[in-house]
Amino acid sequence: MKEKEFGDKIKPWLDRAAAGVGEMQATRLKSARLRAMDAYREPVRLLGLVTVNAGMAQTLRYSVLQRALLFVPVLALLAVLAVRSLEPAEPDVGELAELDALLLTQELPPDAFLDKDFRSWLRKSQR
Amino acid sequence: MLPFAHRAGIARIEGEALATRKEMSDFLASVERRAFKQSVYAVHDEEAALDIVQDAMLRLAEKYPERPPEELPLLFQRILQNAIRDYFRRSKVRSTWTTLLSAMGLGGEDEDGDPLETMEILDEANVSASPASQLEQSQVMATIEEAVQSLPERQREAFMLRYWEELDVSETAKVMGCSEGSVKTHCSRATHALAKILKSKGISL
Repeated sequence: MKEKEFGDKIKPWLDRAAAGVGEMQATRLKSARLRAMDAYREPVRLLGLVTVNAGMAQTLRYSVLQRALLFVPVLALLAVLAVRSLEPAEPDVGELAELDALLLTQELPPDAFLDKDFRSWLRKSQR
Repeated sequence: MLPFAHRAGIARIEGEALATRKEMSDFLASVERRAFKQSVYAVHDEEAALDIVQDAMLRLAEKYPERPPEELPLLFQRILQNAIRDYFRRSKVRSTWTTLLSAMGLGGEDEDGDPLETMEILDEANVSASPASQLEQSQVMATIEEAVQSLPERQREAFMLRYWEELDVSETAKVMGCSEGSVKTHCSRATHALAKILKSKGISL
């Protein structure tokens, strides 16, 4: 008798033996299956490209978050510098000091600043 | 031929249909009894066989949820056969220690156990209610199971995988971790041994 033929004849007997597993064993197998399914976690998609199991995804997420936190101070510094560079330039300190000196030496009366013509002249001269 | 699931792979590229929760559960339900019987034939102990099947199911569900459903049978068989081998390894270590302790007179007094516990309990209702043909069939089934259990480990493993789980030679070789030639040899020997045993008991299939 050929091996395959013999194997095919044995198979239904083994199937019958498996189907005839006792009630107690069947109940325990079912409970083992339910326990296994409790441990089952749906696979998680990462960036829509790959799928990993939930535990792996959790590990990746944790490590990404941890690394991102390290960059927070650097990013904050860069943000501050960017904001500062966008602000309008303040008047030259030297010019302000010169005006203060003129005011103090009364070469320039404080009332001059109330004169609109003087202020427009001052603006033009700064250009 | 089904693609073989490599343990090293941790991520699956999109496009492959993955086993859903229901598919995984249905798969486990479909194999649990056969896996239990396979383990019983291997370890000759129902309690140990239940533990082995439980471990194998837990490992599959926990570690390989991202596998496509068509890979599950092969993967499960590999996990199950590894669990059976682990059981034999542990038993070997345990028996070594037991022998040592017995020789030193530190244990082993209860090794024989209660003979009543090891006696087979007949399902009287089933036996008395069965007609002659059913009885005959159950005797044939018991003889076949005994014959399968009496096979050497590797021969039985190869026979079960090839003819019960219907894996091809290549898949069986991957599960058993041996060459295809070895699988063929084990299968051939197992088949001839089984045929011889059944013939000697007057059973013709």
